[in-house]
Amino acid sequence: MIDLAKLNAKSDELNNLTPEDTALEVKNLDLYYGQKQALFDVSMKIPKGKVTAFIGPSGCGKSTLLRCINRMNDLVDICRVDGKIELQGTNIYDKSVDVASLRRRIGMVFQRPNPFPKSIYENVVYGLRLQGINDRRTLDEICETSLRGAALWNEVKDRLHDNAFGLSGGQQQRLVIARAIAIGPEVLLLDEPTSALDPISTLTVEELITQLKEKFTVVIVTHNMQQAARVSDQTAFMYMGKLIEYADTNTLFTAPQKKQTEDYITGRYG
Amino acid sequence: MENTNLSRHISGQFNAEIESVRNQVMQMGGLIEQQLGNALKAMCENDIELARKVIIKDTEVNDFELLVDQDCSRIIAKRQPAASDLRLILTIMKTITELERIGDRVTDIAKMTIENHGKKVPPMIGLENMGQIVLKMLHDCLDAFTRLDMNNAIEIHKQDKKVNRQYESILRELMTFMMEDPRSVPFVLNVLASARAIERIGDRCQNICEQIVYLVKGIDVRHATDEELNSLIED
Repeated sequence: MIDLAKLNAKSDELNNLTPEDTALEVKNLDLYYGQKQALFDVSMKIPKGKVTAFIGPSGCGKSTLLRCINRMNDLVDICRVDGKIELQGTNIYDKSVDVASLRRRIGMVFQRPNPFPKSIYENVVYGLRLQGINDRRTLDEICETSLRGAALWNEVKDRLHDNAFGLSGGQQQRLVIARAIAIGPEVLLLDEPTSALDPISTLTVEELITQLKEKFTVVIVTHNMQQAARVSDQTAFMYMGKLIEYADTNTLFTAPQKKQTEDYITGRYG
Repeated sequence: MENTNLSRHISGQFNAEIESVRNQVMQMGGLIEQQLGNALKAMCENDIELARKVIIKDTEVNDFELLVDQDCSRIIAKRQPAASDLRLILTIMKTITELERIGDRVTDIAKMTIENHGKKVPPMIGLENMGQIVLKMLHDCLDAFTRLDMNNAIEIHKQDKKVNRQYESILRELMTFMMEDPRSVPFVLNVLASARAIERIGDRCQNICEQIVYLVKGIDVRHATDEELNSLIED
């Protein structure tokens, strides 16, 4: 059965998300680094409990957009943001929003694993200690659930007090994810989380990502298109600071609607 | 969506692989077309030598199928094609299956010609006519595949109705013939089998047309109605 109507409805699905199903809503976001505009009028709704991938060539603004979501760009002096990003209805750029508490709700994991020079255990509970939680039993419990959640528990349960630098790259990355989920965020931002990992560790992390979406909303930036195709539920293709196409991953990778998307994912000259 | 930019991949090697597999499909299509033409000619002119040649040549068609399939699976494994590239590979894999089956039907027609040689059979005018329509359909749909011409594919798709009508009228004609002369039944059944084979080739051309629409537009039109197909035609 063909259904042009159904195809169109599918792309509308993301626009017509109900507030309950929306984790984040980006509204007319412009971003400038000094004079240079890096994001142009980006609007999108990121659904709750799903994996959303941002893809696009280098410099297209996908990492910039991801960093906007937990206000990492605040650290860049020349950066200016117009527009809104709403987390459950509140604009995260509102003056009343405390950045530290925002980042408790929106965790982030970077390209290179960056464990602290501490034990595995202390790495995971670091955020909790910052919040003033020091009760041994609570910490033990959260440490275990987070490490289980990051699919690392079985590999490290006998050496929780060893230095985290003794872990392999893939394990370190999962440790960092455990650290991010220990504080119970709503959204997890992953900025090319597997680009420094070997193929097997990459698969472990990808498997983890699909498990994570049961509890969290995951937003991932990746250079690896096949990875976006494998792990995400919807994919946004960005080019030159603009959101070109945002659709259900299955549609985007089999029959994209825009020529630029087509050219990028099939590896053609733009 | 633009689909004529098959050779614009950054990877020249990928371009070459895709080009080569497309060429093979076209060659295979050309061969089948020639086979069908010869089988029809052999049938109408009672030329058993030509019919034998057709049967022997079918192995070439089979070899093509294996070769293209192998190349396609290699491309999938090595290149992980997406979007229009993926659709092209899927379309090719399905199209060559259809072509190979058309090849088998063509051999059936040739075998019938050999079996019925020298026997008293009903006049073949209707069959010849239907054969020519199907031959043109096959030619046109291969052409549409080469040009990625969706509108044409939809037009060709419709022609199968004509073939079906002809098939039904041939069927009636042959039944009358059998009733009039029961001794002719074995040979008429052969003719009937040929008519059926030709009619099925028309169906397979239709399937190829559906694949072309999928390739160009990304919409699966198998089992779609005529109105739905018509709604896809672009200016």
